[in-house]
Amino acid sequence: MVSTEGGAPRRELLAGAGSALAAGAALGLAGCGGNKHVPRQAVKTAPRHIRRRDVRLLNAALALERRTIAAYTAGIPLLEHRDQKAAKQFLNEELQHTGELLGLIKAADGIAPPRADSYDIGHPRDAAGVLALLHELERAQIAGYVKAVSKLSPGPVRAAVASILCNDAQHISFIRLMQGTTPVPSAFVTGSE
Amino acid sequence: MDTGQSSTRRELLAYGAGIAGAALLVPASAPAAGRAATESEADRLQRLMSVELLMLYTYRQVMASSLLSPSARRALAPLRANEEAHIRALGARLSALGGVAPSPPASVAGADKALAHREVSGRLGKLKGAKDALRLLLAVERVTVGAYFVALTKLEDPGLITLAAEIMANDAQHEAIVGELLYPGKAGQAVPYGLVQGVQ
Repeated sequence: MVSTEGGAPRRELLAGAGSALAAGAALGLAGCGGNKHVPRQAVKTAPRHIRRRDVRLLNAALALERRTIAAYTAGIPLLEHRDQKAAKQFLNEELQHTGELLGLIKAADGIAPPRADSYDIGHPRDAAGVLALLHELERAQIAGYVKAVSKLSPGPVRAAVASILCNDAQHISFIRLMQGTTPVPSAFVTGSE
Repeated sequence: MDTGQSSTRRELLAYGAGIAGAALLVPASAPAAGRAATESEADRLQRLMSVELLMLYTYRQVMASSLLSPSARRALAPLRANEEAHIRALGARLSALGGVAPSPPASVAGADKALAHREVSGRLGKLKGAKDALRLLLAVERVTVGAYFVALTKLEDPGLITLAAEIMANDAQHEAIVGELLYPGKAGQAVPYGLVQGVQ
């Protein structure tokens, strides 16, 4: 299961998301996030050992994002119609996250690993199974970002990664609504729910 | 009340690098850079508490009014409780640093003045209906998220960084929930940005 990422046009991504693998035409745009948000100047001036540490953390986050993208791509067709539109929106945003991470990795002179040929996302057979999978993957991403954020440097990189964390926190709230549970179970988003 | 909102994002990102070169490249950032160099972690926590106190005051006023339906009020109650928890957590950290907690708005007029200072267009004293009230809550949540985004470029203590990120993410969830109340079934409007940075 593969996915597009980086600079794919939004319309194209949304159109492709519903058909499980239109996204399979991987664009191979590593480093082409082209994201104007990436604080490149701040990253480039960080000491080399800091950049190396950042790249390790960012690559770990990228791997989780790619897995989540694979799950959305495969799972959207199984969701109820009313939830598909939101899930497509979230898939598009996850793709944005990979673009942001790729931009940060590139700015730190790092190399992002290639996408895997496939991702182990289990075999959900219905909407409930897909929502459980997406909930778990969003939770894992949140936990990863919360753990990483204080280790990243300089400050603008922390803020950039926190902006991704916040969006994943919004996703999990909506997924919880779709699951019929309370959308905001805690005042502090830790990914430990 | 210091809003911490006066710097543009470009300025903040520039001085976040912590290098004189960035300041030279962006001359307008010089005052902000000077402030960043002299402010303490306690100062940063005080600014975050100020915006959280305004947020909480806004929730309380809106929820005490008759503008919202019972179902909307029920949906917002946990969010208000979350804001109270944020304030307690920030207050505990601030106290440990020897800082003094800022005062909450003393009146609707005071809160409206603070909203204007933060360039929020809505006013508590002029709400005309449920949508108006929800739009105001959404606007203040976005300002709050923006305050954390800026703080994260500057905070240095790992514990405070983690706490700020956890609260920022929760306030981003509030944005989404209030957005869902405003635009039911329209995730594109409730969660419009893949990178959530609030309003700075």
